[in-house]
Amino acid sequence: MRRLVATAFVLTALLVQVTIVNRLPLPDGRPDLLVVVVVALALVRGPEYGAIVGFAAGLAADVIPPADHTIGRLALAYAIVGYAAGLLEDAEERSVLATVLVVAACSAAAVVGYAGVGALIGDERVTVEALRNSLVATVIYDVVLAPFVVPVVSGAARRAEPAGYGVRP
Amino acid sequence: MRDSRRARLVLALLLLTAFTLITLDYRAGSGGPLRSIGNAVFGPVERAAAAVVHPVGSFFSSLGHLSSYKSTNAKLRKQNQQLREQLRLTDGERAHLSSAEKLLDLAGRAQFRIVPAQVVAVEGALGFEWTATIDAGSRDGIRSNMTVVNGDGLVGKTVHVGPTTSTVLLGRDPKFTAGARLERTNEIGHVDGGGRQPMTFTLLGSSNTMKAGDRLVSFASIANRPFVAEVPIGRIVKVLPTPGQLFRTAIVAPFVDFTAIDVVGVVVGQPRTVRRDSLLPPSPTPTPSPSSSQSAGSSSGTSAGSSPSPAPSGSG
Repeated sequence: MRRLVATAFVLTALLVQVTIVNRLPLPDGRPDLLVVVVVALALVRGPEYGAIVGFAAGLAADVIPPADHTIGRLALAYAIVGYAAGLLEDAEERSVLATVLVVAACSAAAVVGYAGVGALIGDERVTVEALRNSLVATVIYDVVLAPFVVPVVSGAARRAEPAGYGVRP
Repeated sequence: MRDSRRARLVLALLLLTAFTLITLDYRAGSGGPLRSIGNAVFGPVERAAAAVVHPVGSFFSSLGHLSSYKSTNAKLRKQNQQLREQLRLTDGERAHLSSAEKLLDLAGRAQFRIVPAQVVAVEGALGFEWTATIDAGSRDGIRSNMTVVNGDGLVGKTVHVGPTTSTVLLGRDPKFTAGARLERTNEIGHVDGGGRQPMTFTLLGSSNTMKAGDRLVSFASIANRPFVAEVPIGRIVKVLPTPGQLFRTAIVAPFVDFTAIDVVGVVVGQPRTVRRDSLLPPSPTPTPSPSSSQSAGSSSGTSAGSSPSPAPSGSG
């Protein structure tokens, strides 16, 4: 059940991203739905789960057409992001602002991680200009999305937990 | 922060796996097994999603299968007309149809054999890639490194091909390079995509003859892969001052609007020769203004009268 919920959210985010979000005539870039979903799941389930979900989601994003980069780059970036977001699992009574900040930091980390590996292996698409553009646009759009997406995903993930799991005494 | 030692171990293993994947895929170049699996699994899902998002999608994929068998332009136009009458068209559908008609018009003039397809998904990771998925693949006769056009001109080339979908590298992508010829002077060079920067044209030659307003068409690659000749690319808007450099560079405004591509055609066969400049729009077109009644009256004599028999018809 838990796996089913996570898989459903990740696949939906992937498909909505490439078939709808990327085609919207937004200026200067796009939100990255997937990183928001990964962060939302990791915040409920902790670092280990976050890393695994991040890796799996990133790998799917690496191979879903029309992706055209070295496979493994997004898996790497999202695994780190999922782990980092999972470390904040214990922060109880998280305010909306805190959630938004986590999403902002994680979005930036995902872009930098992806671009960093690209720079290492000589991806000609990764330039300072492109990095700056992607960083600014992704962080801003993700911050706008976070207050709507995170509660839905986290709520569903929490409800899918077995009884008693994750509930603090 | 529960169980953090185990979590760290898991993370380390995952990162190691990711680095291994990156290394393997990097060494394999394009077309590793994982990419094929991705195409086979996600391709059909994307097609289905696009059909929901875009109700006319299924209509066009069926049109695609008809025309891949060497149908003539006139026949398709007629079918188009009939279908147009059958459908009550919304604005979106009308735009869709007109882009399909333009594509068929271009392909007809060039006598290209095309597989029409529709864009179902765009852009890879995090805003760094300008790529698109189209709903036609190896089962429709598409291979990697084929020219992709629409009614306005060159869209890109195919890079990864799955059974029912293919990935197109758009002309705007920083990785994109194509040979190009200046219409006016017949000099050659190459066009490069720039991502968020404008597209550029580099003239291979030291002459100083190119100027703003010159138009560019594609220059055939060896054996027409990935690029066939004569596909319109764009117009030079500014020649860059590059003192001390061997080659001159100019900024190009592409004919194709890469943010709004919809119906495209993959060129799977072409006549032995395409008449020079025959695919460019009629010459005196300073701005595509809506006052088409005037320009149609003046240019119809030149453009319509000269088109019927382009060069040798060695299509086969």
